[in-house]
Amino acid sequence: MNCERIREQIPEALAGRLSKADRETLVEHLESCGACRTEVAELNAVWRGLEAVKSGMDAAPDSGAKTRFQDMLAAYQAGMQAAQPVVRKNNVAGIPARPVWQAAIAAGLVLCGILFGRYLPQTSGGSPELAQLRSQVENLNQMVALSMLQGQSPSARMRGVTYSERIAQPDPQVLDALLQAVNHDSSVNVRLSAVDALQKFGGDPETSRAMVRSIPEQDSPLVQIALVDMLVQLNARVAAPDLARLANDSELNEMVRQRMLWAVNKLETK
Amino acid sequence: MEDELVMQEVREGDVGRLEVLFDRHYAGILRYFNYLTSNRTLSEDLAQDVFFRVLKYRQTWQTGANFRPWLYQIARNVFADQLGKQKPEVALPEEAREIRGADAPPDREFQKKQESLMLRRALAAMPCEKREVLIMSRFLDLKYEEIATVLKCEVGTVKVRVYRAMRDLTDRFFALSGERAS
Repeated sequence: MNCERIREQIPEALAGRLSKADRETLVEHLESCGACRTEVAELNAVWRGLEAVKSGMDAAPDSGAKTRFQDMLAAYQAGMQAAQPVVRKNNVAGIPARPVWQAAIAAGLVLCGILFGRYLPQTSGGSPELAQLRSQVENLNQMVALSMLQGQSPSARMRGVTYSERIAQPDPQVLDALLQAVNHDSSVNVRLSAVDALQKFGGDPETSRAMVRSIPEQDSPLVQIALVDMLVQLNARVAAPDLARLANDSELNEMVRQRMLWAVNKLETK
Repeated sequence: MEDELVMQEVREGDVGRLEVLFDRHYAGILRYFNYLTSNRTLSEDLAQDVFFRVLKYRQTWQTGANFRPWLYQIARNVFADQLGKQKPEVALPEEAREIRGADAPPDREFQKKQESLMLRRALAAMPCEKREVLIMSRFLDLKYEEIATVLKCEVGTVKVRVYRAMRDLTDRFFALSGERAS
């Protein structure tokens, strides 16, 4: 075996991972090759020295790391629950399983609804107390989302993003805070989650344009791709010309540009 | 329970089970970033990011694949994103300055400490690809097969890369210390 092949085995030999047969071949070679013996001596000195480097840098993780992870996990689980669609049960108590009966009941309910609507006095949107309560909850959600989105820690801001998804009516202030998070948050995780949360506001062409403007400002290709994907998901045709233009920007990541071409194709054929 | 079975549960939606994998692998991931950046605070942020991405991209984990190489692939991507954000130079370790004067410890210990600091300097000055393969092999004790999966190359290529990285580190170390082994 030549010297080069032998030398490639030295790190494995130093780590004690070389098979018996290879070790014997190595030893046999070293007995007759002074240059390879010097090589082993030098690499061995450094290999052993790295042990001291290792022990000097192996500080144990602090307990705050676990808490931070648990916060992130809790926020993620909350986000998952909020995003879950309502599950329809097949056998709701009291409703017959046969389609004929279901159709009859549905027709009856429609008729009742028409009669009820015709003969009831005209009120605007049901009980005022209920409407007021809904509005208060909505305002509270907005307030919590906004204050959390301005939090110091990434996990708090992540929870803010999650809260924003609970808001039934898109709110300009929350939308603005989410766009701020997408554009300026220091944590890639928060930016990615904020992109996901923008789904709710996607019908607005101005939001789509703001998302496109954000793409070249991002330093993470992951966030850029998430923005492109979200635009496709929202069917934001208004963004197609700008995406086509950005796809030619050679300063952008190649994968991102490919994704934009794909997105333009998708948006134009939808 | 093996990592792969736990990850399967995470993939199927029981995301709370990720805590088991966090307990097993956070220290290793933190070490990986610590060696790459010599910056503890940054390493902690990056390590947290890795576990967030495991959650976010859990569907991309394929049943039957080994968990550890997949986890380190994510860690590499996180580091690559970080490099895109900041200047790629690795900060020299804080203590990696000459020990002089009254603070100098007794001879033997002094020499050992100086050697260790010089090695850290040499390591920090290496090109990122070489330093990375050495960290995986020497400090994280990943098997060559696992490193090959992380780097998406053949086992034979890993063997050559580890040797070349060791050779490079050795040259840098002896250049700094001004001596060679005899």
